[in-house]
Amino acid sequence: MTVLLCAAILSTVVSGSSSNDSALAPERETAALKREGLELAEALMKEFPDSEQPIVLLGNVCGRHGNTAKAIEFWNKALQLNPKLADVHNNIAWVAMGKGQYEDAITQWQKALDINPQAPGVHKNVALALMALGRHDEVIAELQEEIRISPQSSMGYFLLGQEYLQKKEYEEAKISYEKAISLQPNHTNAYYGLFTVCSRLKQPAEARRHMATFKRLKAEDMKILKDRNSAFDDLVSVRRSLAETYVEAQRLYQKRGNPQKAEELLERAIALNPENTDSLLELAALYLASKRIPEALQLSKRASEVEPNNSICHLNIGLCSAKLRRFAEAEQAFRKAIELTPDSSSGYRELALLYLRAGRRFPDARQLAEKALELEPIAVNYFVLSFARDRNGDSPGAISALKRAVELEPGNQLYRQTYERILQRK
Amino acid sequence: MVFPGSRASGIGTGPFLVVILSFSCVLSHARDSSGIILRDVTKETGITFQHTDGSSGRRYVVETVTAGLALFDYDHDGDVDIYFLNGAPLKGTKVGAPPKNALYRNEGGWKFTDVTEEAYVGDTGYGLGVAVGDYDNDGDSDVYLNNYGPNVLYRNNGDGTFTDVTKQAGVDNGFEVGAGTCFLDIDKDGDLDLYVSNYLEFSYDKHVSTASAGFPVYANPRFYAPVPDTLYRNNGDGTFTDISKDSGVGAHAGWGMGIVCGDYDNDGDTDVFIGNDVAENFLFANDGTGKFEEVGLMAGFAYDLHGDEQGSMGVDCGDYDNDGLLDFFVTSYQSQLTTLYKNLGDGLFEDVTLTTGAGAATLAYVTWGNSFVDFDNDGDRDIFVACGHLQDNVERYDDTTSYLTRNILLMNTGDGKFVNISDKSGDGMEVKLSSRGAAFDDLDNDGDVDGVVLNSRREPTILRNDSPSKRHWIQICLQGTKTNRDGVGARVEVVAGDLKLMDEVHSGRGYQSHYGMRLHFGLGNRSHVDRIEVRWIGGQVDVFEGVAADQIVTLTEGGTKAKPR
Repeated sequence: MTVLLCAAILSTVVSGSSSNDSALAPERETAALKREGLELAEALMKEFPDSEQPIVLLGNVCGRHGNTAKAIEFWNKALQLNPKLADVHNNIAWVAMGKGQYEDAITQWQKALDINPQAPGVHKNVALALMALGRHDEVIAELQEEIRISPQSSMGYFLLGQEYLQKKEYEEAKISYEKAISLQPNHTNAYYGLFTVCSRLKQPAEARRHMATFKRLKAEDMKILKDRNSAFDDLVSVRRSLAETYVEAQRLYQKRGNPQKAEELLERAIALNPENTDSLLELAALYLASKRIPEALQLSKRASEVEPNNSICHLNIGLCSAKLRRFAEAEQAFRKAIELTPDSSSGYRELALLYLRAGRRFPDARQLAEKALELEPIAVNYFVLSFARDRNGDSPGAISALKRAVELEPGNQLYRQTYERILQRK
Repeated sequence: MVFPGSRASGIGTGPFLVVILSFSCVLSHARDSSGIILRDVTKETGITFQHTDGSSGRRYVVETVTAGLALFDYDHDGDVDIYFLNGAPLKGTKVGAPPKNALYRNEGGWKFTDVTEEAYVGDTGYGLGVAVGDYDNDGDSDVYLNNYGPNVLYRNNGDGTFTDVTKQAGVDNGFEVGAGTCFLDIDKDGDLDLYVSNYLEFSYDKHVSTASAGFPVYANPRFYAPVPDTLYRNNGDGTFTDISKDSGVGAHAGWGMGIVCGDYDNDGDTDVFIGNDVAENFLFANDGTGKFEEVGLMAGFAYDLHGDEQGSMGVDCGDYDNDGLLDFFVTSYQSQLTTLYKNLGDGLFEDVTLTTGAGAATLAYVTWGNSFVDFDNDGDRDIFVACGHLQDNVERYDDTTSYLTRNILLMNTGDGKFVNISDKSGDGMEVKLSSRGAAFDDLDNDGDVDGVVLNSRREPTILRNDSPSKRHWIQICLQGTKTNRDGVGARVEVVAGDLKLMDEVHSGRGYQSHYGMRLHFGLGNRSHVDRIEVRWIGGQVDVFEGVAADQIVTLTEGGTKAKPR
């Protein structure tokens, strides 16, 4: 039945694209690309008839084609097979939101939260819908929950400011905007909020100062928008959309243990959108897993050229370089990752590991490992700290950190075996 | 407004978009229970006008924004007549008889006669915006057309005919893409000056072809450069002088769309509000001498609550919360809410859309004509929103919206809030077309306000107000003697018992339209007006006391007695 629906959609997509006029070539290519996406989804459904994921993917393809009615049909079908698909509820919620059906959106997001209560962003979305419904009493609680889950969410703080502003609690609003700006210094909208709230508080000098900053940032935003507008190419946009479909599809093959097919799909994704860092990094990860380190490094570098401020690209470069024993290159890459995302533990942890494995700068390694743990008290960070403490001669400290890693991830064999070894050594 | 940063900074609203629900006309009467009933009486009226946008598939940007309409009593017979603007064939479009604007005389009893030919107002230019005002103070209403191409000024000869006096008056405005336009007295000298909004820099050689998901679409206005507006000062001798530069208006380039003039800061002069497409709105504050300062950002009118620019379309003003201050309502593009700006009284506005519900049901639509109208005479102003996408094939790449859509009616609940009653307000609200301009006046002189909607590429919709309310009302025509003849810019305050209402006379408002020169006040259960105060442009205040409700009265500058019309 689903395949039949797919065929029906296919016929809609390709209709009207049969002209031989050469001026219509982009339209024909667009239709062909759309068809390719649907065919890919269809192929996945045949290959994985027991999985809901191809149905989700078909829904996503329909959504990207602007056919949200069909998309919802597929997403609901996928939910019947597996009700635990938080992302699918999120997708349905956004469609409802776009239609102004805020209650429906909230219902979907609540379901997403039932599946994953700690999901970042969802409480913020619920707050937006509540705001639109005028249910202002509930908005603040949702935003506070969002901020509890994502303390670095500048949007969460900004929206909190917006809510306080509407409640005429100007001092609270001001504090929230300032917090949003501290987390995202170029937060154009938060500066507008500050300007507004200072105007209401009759603080003209401060209002003018924030207005000036807002005007500067807004002018920059408008310039970006204008450039983006000028550069807009519909065909490129459709190719990018299809590339996303390939990226999603390859994940299914990866999950099902078919990295070769995943690789093939990622290569097509990259051909369609050479600037998609997700595809580049995912393919790099596949290369890394299959020990093709130089190729992985090359792709990671390519990704970093596309998105120089993406810390994951630099982390990948660091990891590949470390494996190739290019110490200086790896060190530089990890430092860049730390510089770009100082609040993420990954860069600190990997740099610590680099030092430890290279047998260098043990005190620095310990400091870095401690920082990583401070930022994210997760098992892997305890494990690396244990290693660092051990290298710095702190055996009791190493054991206690390792013990904590095992407690946090009891199923991790590496942690467990290391822990047992270190205890025996003792 | 919708979600912060959704356009400029790319913080998306989500991966996908929107759908529209439609309802069968058959069910409509069963749902009529809102207290406001608007009936579609188009077929009964004899109006045969069909709008054209002059298109032939090339998708020139101007096609999307035509047109407005005007409601005014051109022959002074006491009935409000209808003037529809029309597009014209654009390059590559072949037509038999060229389309033209159309004037329909109101014969009473909901019958209208096409008098375009005999009145000589069948302009064949590409119509966009219109304003009506007595620029020569001779007691009849003249018409200004803001076209794509040369504009037109029709002087009313007072005998049911008009003369094109554009050339003598010097107001053709070159060859711009027009938008809204208003007559206003910028310098309190007793004659009406003319504000002409310009949309963008377009010519055939600058046309941009673009597509969305493989389907050809009209290009975003950002592909075309913004342009400054034009301001003409009335020389008092039938001619005008372009003072755009000297007045300060010409220093600001924008994508001007709807426009309305009003005294937002209660300082006795008329200020100008411009809704700009894809950029911040302008508020030109008048210093009383005809010099303007753009204060939109400072006043909180330029952006929405979040600080995001809107695709502003139409602008209207009115005192929705009866606090004696003019508030503003702006329509916008799909995925943005219409925006209600509450006047705080200290020169500042607050976007109260989310706290009042004034954006209800508008998110999925492109919204155009709009007005604050007290449809049920309960003493507070409701909101009408005309809707319709500008992409005629939008459903092919976004099924969450549609080209042909229903309009929206938001009822003021009297406590500063609005509720969407579109589903319960008669078959007039079930018409699914692609609306642009919308205009409101009492077309049958029965004491409630009716409506006319111009629909792109189609017949108009004539809305008869059949609300069951037996509430009281008063309608006021102003007659200036020292100031401009129609009292444009004058402020009227009506006191009836505990109810205090305020309005101003506007020329040009909403989406590129003109209407409402006869001020309408719903009085609820109050059968008597205690006091009417008129503040004329220039500052003179006249007071009229003890006026019976449920009548149309004329208040003359310098007088003390309201005259039944």
